[in-house]
Amino acid sequence: MLAIEKKRLNELLRRMNRDFQVYVPYLENGTGKFAPYQEERELYLEMNTLLPPKDIFFPQTEKMYKFRAAGNELEIEEIAEQKEKQVVFGIRSCDAFSIDCLDKVFLSRGYEDAFYKNKRENTLLVGLACTAVGDTCFCQSMGLNPQEAVGVDLQVLDLGAEWGFKARTAAGQELLAKYGDVLHETGASPLPAEEFKLKVEVEGVPEKLSRMFDHPVWEEVSRKCLGCALCTYLCPTCHCFDVSGKVKGEEGYRFRCWDSCMFSEYTRMAGGHNPRPTKKERVRNRFMHKLSYFVERYGQLLCTGCGRCLAKCPVNMDITAVIRKIKEAEVE
Amino acid sequence: MNANPLVPIRGRIIKIVQETPDVKTFHVSTTGGEKPFAPKPGQLAMLSLPQAGEAMFSITSQGPNHLELAIKEVGQLTGALHQVEEGQECGIRGPYGNGFPLDYLKGKDLLFIGGGIGLAPVRSLINHCIENRAEFGKMYVVYGARSVADLVFKEDLFENWPKVENMEVYTTIDRPEEGWTGHVAFVPAYVEELGFKPMTTITCGPPIMIKFVLQALARMGFNDADVITTLEMRMKCGIGKCGRCNIGSLYVCLDGPVFTLEQLKKLPPEY
Ligand SMILES: Cc1cc2nc3c(=O)[nH]c(=O)nc-3n(C[C@H](O)[C@H](O)[C@H](O)COP(=O)(O)OP(=O)(O)OC[C@H]3O[C@@H](n4cnc5c(N)ncnc54)[C@H](O)[C@@H]3O)c2cc1C
Ligand code: SF4
Ligand code: SF4
Ligand code: FES
Repeated sequence: MLAIEKKRLNELLRRMNRDFQVYVPYLENGTGKFAPYQEERELYLEMNTLLPPKDIFFPQTEKMYKFRAAGNELEIEEIAEQKEKQVVFGIRSCDAFSIDCLDKVFLSRGYEDAFYKNKRENTLLVGLACTAVGDTCFCQSMGLNPQEAVGVDLQVLDLGAEWGFKARTAAGQELLAKYGDVLHETGASPLPAEEFKLKVEVEGVPEKLSRMFDHPVWEEVSRKCLGCALCTYLCPTCHCFDVSGKVKGEEGYRFRCWDSCMFSEYTRMAGGHNPRPTKKERVRNRFMHKLSYFVERYGQLLCTGCGRCLAKCPVNMDITAVIRKIKEAEVE
Repeated sequence: MNANPLVPIRGRIIKIVQETPDVKTFHVSTTGGEKPFAPKPGQLAMLSLPQAGEAMFSITSQGPNHLELAIKEVGQLTGALHQVEEGQECGIRGPYGNGFPLDYLKGKDLLFIGGGIGLAPVRSLINHCIENRAEFGKMYVVYGARSVADLVFKEDLFENWPKVENMEVYTTIDRPEEGWTGHVAFVPAYVEELGFKPMTTITCGPPIMIKFVLQALARMGFNDADVITTLEMRMKCGIGKCGRCNIGSLYVCLDGPVFTLEQLKKLPPEY
């Protein structure tokens, strides 16, 4: 396997950053997040980032087109960002799979989302295997391998004193060839991942949920939710967006921004009718979407077991506990 | 359509018809005078005045060079639209949604039931059937509004449609009114009174009307698979991405807005 000594990783990233815009995980005021590579900054590779890398492909706010409206006339101009080639370095298995989920949403089923596609097509993913496992991590229970990310071009493995590299696609192979001069051949073998502390059995849950829309469990589960939407903002797979505009005089632009099905206005229609009027319906929709609707539509779960929502929910809403409740619930 | 489905093309409002005190029909072309796109009956368009907003509307009819949208004044965007004059440029994108199942409807007798502005999506199908008259059986239209002033598409209701071969049009208003010699009743009651035999039915209107129409049709022995309706949910993207309009695993903007009652009964009752 090709490898680099851990203390020399910067040499590789520096080289890469000349050819690509490289994103890496940093700790910023105590919050782990992906940001453009800067030579002098220390990387954060101990644990996964609190903020997922989804905003690299699907920014929190994104301008779509600008316009000029004067008198009767209107001009519309698309804001088509020409994306340079980029690399996301250090993506964990859970977050790599979330990008697979986003690909299903934005790139399949009749329409391609041009804004997403532009960034996605120009990005290489470099996975980072987990050895330490967080208290709220449960990706393994969701069918993922913490050391083998789905859909990455290159997988990085922890060899102790070195980082090892395994190409997963032709593009990953090219990367290794391109920077071969800073890599060396090693016989070291990867450190395994720790035992998972959090486990949950998800088998049969999507099918069972399709018969649980009217089940009393939703009343109980939703009771403590504050409707703050933190869970959906931290989630690497949540992808709902709102479309809005900004006007200044005759000019303005239209943009989209992250939205959340946990907000009451989300489904409120003109005239005031709201199909999901209380938090019971909204919490139900969130779990149904992740664990059942998405499976029906795209054939995979919309939860990767990253554990962010349960780690940060102010009232300890825990999706694994909800899954257990669903498992135990009686249905006719 | 634009290569980027979320970015509208430039359109121009070439004609505005005042239907009722708060509904106007807007005829929209491209700035080059062409039809913005060719929708199927029952499909939708996103119309925008980017300064005011963007919203989804049923395409109620179309001509060789334009689309028609009937729009009720209820809020910010629709308020702004009701202010503009002919010649105003706008943004338009689409067509969205599945549209009515034309192949299935071919050769059948059809009952159309509408209430208020809910006639807008149904009208696209009625007009299609009239243009291709030989392909469809007998046609009946039952339409009602609160008052005479609230009846939309009066020219179609009272002049154009009654002249069509094998087509019967029944209009009603909720309460008696001076000068109105037609029927007075709520739409669901009128449908029952007219005593139709079960046939393929297309209905759209306010939720409360739909609810009672469906009950009436069930009493009259209509088959769930033959009762077709169109749904409304809040929409932002129109292309199944923004997540806004889901009912269960379906998106109304993509998999709807047209559903049979049989399909609806299999979905979570969350609309
Ligand atoms: C599939 C589909 C088809 C449609 N077809 C048509 C059509 O053919 N014709 C048509 O006119 N519309 C149609 N609509 C509705 C249309 O898309 C808009 O939602 C509607 O016109 C409101 O537009 P607006 O932007 O002007 O209102 P907004 O500015 O968004 O405001 C809506 C108004 O509703 C009221 N409102 C909002 N929230 C509340 C609340 N919580 N309580 C009480 N009142 C509230 C307020 O008066 C508010 O001003 C359709 C929608 C869908 C999804
Ligand atoms: S973070 Fe917790 S309290 Fe906030 S919306 Fe999510 S589940 Fe509810
Ligand atoms: S639902 Fe929670 S655990 Fe699952 S992917 Fe989203 S944030 Fe992670
Ligand atoms: S309007 Fe965005 S998913 Fe239907």
